[in-house]
Amino acid sequence: MKTEEIYNAWKEQKSQIDVDKGFSDKVMSRINQYERQKRKPVFDGHRLIELISTRPLGKAAVVAAGAVIGFVRIAYVIYAFLGC
Amino acid sequence: MTHETEIIRRVLEGDIESFRLLLARYEKPVVRMIRNITYDKESCEDLAQDVFLTAYEKLASFDRARSSFSTWLFTIARNKSLNALKKKKPLSISEPPEKSNPHNPSDDMAEREFYDRLDKTLQTLPSRQRRAFILAEFEKLSYAEIAQIEGTRLGTIKSRINRAKMKLRTALKEFAGDIV
Repeated sequence: MKTEEIYNAWKEQKSQIDVDKGFSDKVMSRINQYERQKRKPVFDGHRLIELISTRPLGKAAVVAAGAVIGFVRIAYVIYAFLGC
Repeated sequence: MTHETEIIRRVLEGDIESFRLLLARYEKPVVRMIRNITYDKESCEDLAQDVFLTAYEKLASFDRARSSFSTWLFTIARNKSLNALKKKKPLSISEPPEKSNPHNPSDDMAEREFYDRLDKTLQTLPSRQRRAFILAEFEKLSYAEIAQIEGTRLGTIKSRINRAKMKLRTALKEFAGDIV
């Protein structure tokens, strides 16, 4: 076999490839996943409630936020009365 | 065989399953190109999956007036391969086999050695030459298409491919002890 033949045989060998039979399915599965994520709303109220109710830290954060808002409101009312 | 433009139109209109037709047509060339550029048999299919996912995500931006779908897809594959190569450690290229072995190319073992030698020479080529050679010789793309993928002039591509071919042939002849 001459070098030119070897060279051509090597090119032929490099051109051959076996792709995993499930390749297309894997790609399509990722595409479907991408589409599902794209359709998901940015704000999911149910998910937020679920997150808060299942985590003690979430509950504590909601209570703390409520307390801060209440305090600010009381302070604002007092300021409004005294300001007049 | 459905025309690519028609398939793309259907996919963009929401017929996701039509994308399978593009996959069937291009999975082998894309995987092969990535494997030959990155020399990573393990992760070339994962990278190819990323290529197709990106192609799907950006399909609306594909402009057939600017390039063919295959050129566009190979450009994505080329960019992803380059990024993967940057993240990876440099290829460790072992020394080519000693020249002192008596070569009988008709022998399978000897043939394997010749292939290894060509593989190693291909790996040592400057990456631009290597990519141009791979696209021309393994993917059978035209020089114009390669120039578009590489974002350079036609003459530059011709020169890169010729230099790559010359180096490979020289390496092979040296290894064979100038048997031709």
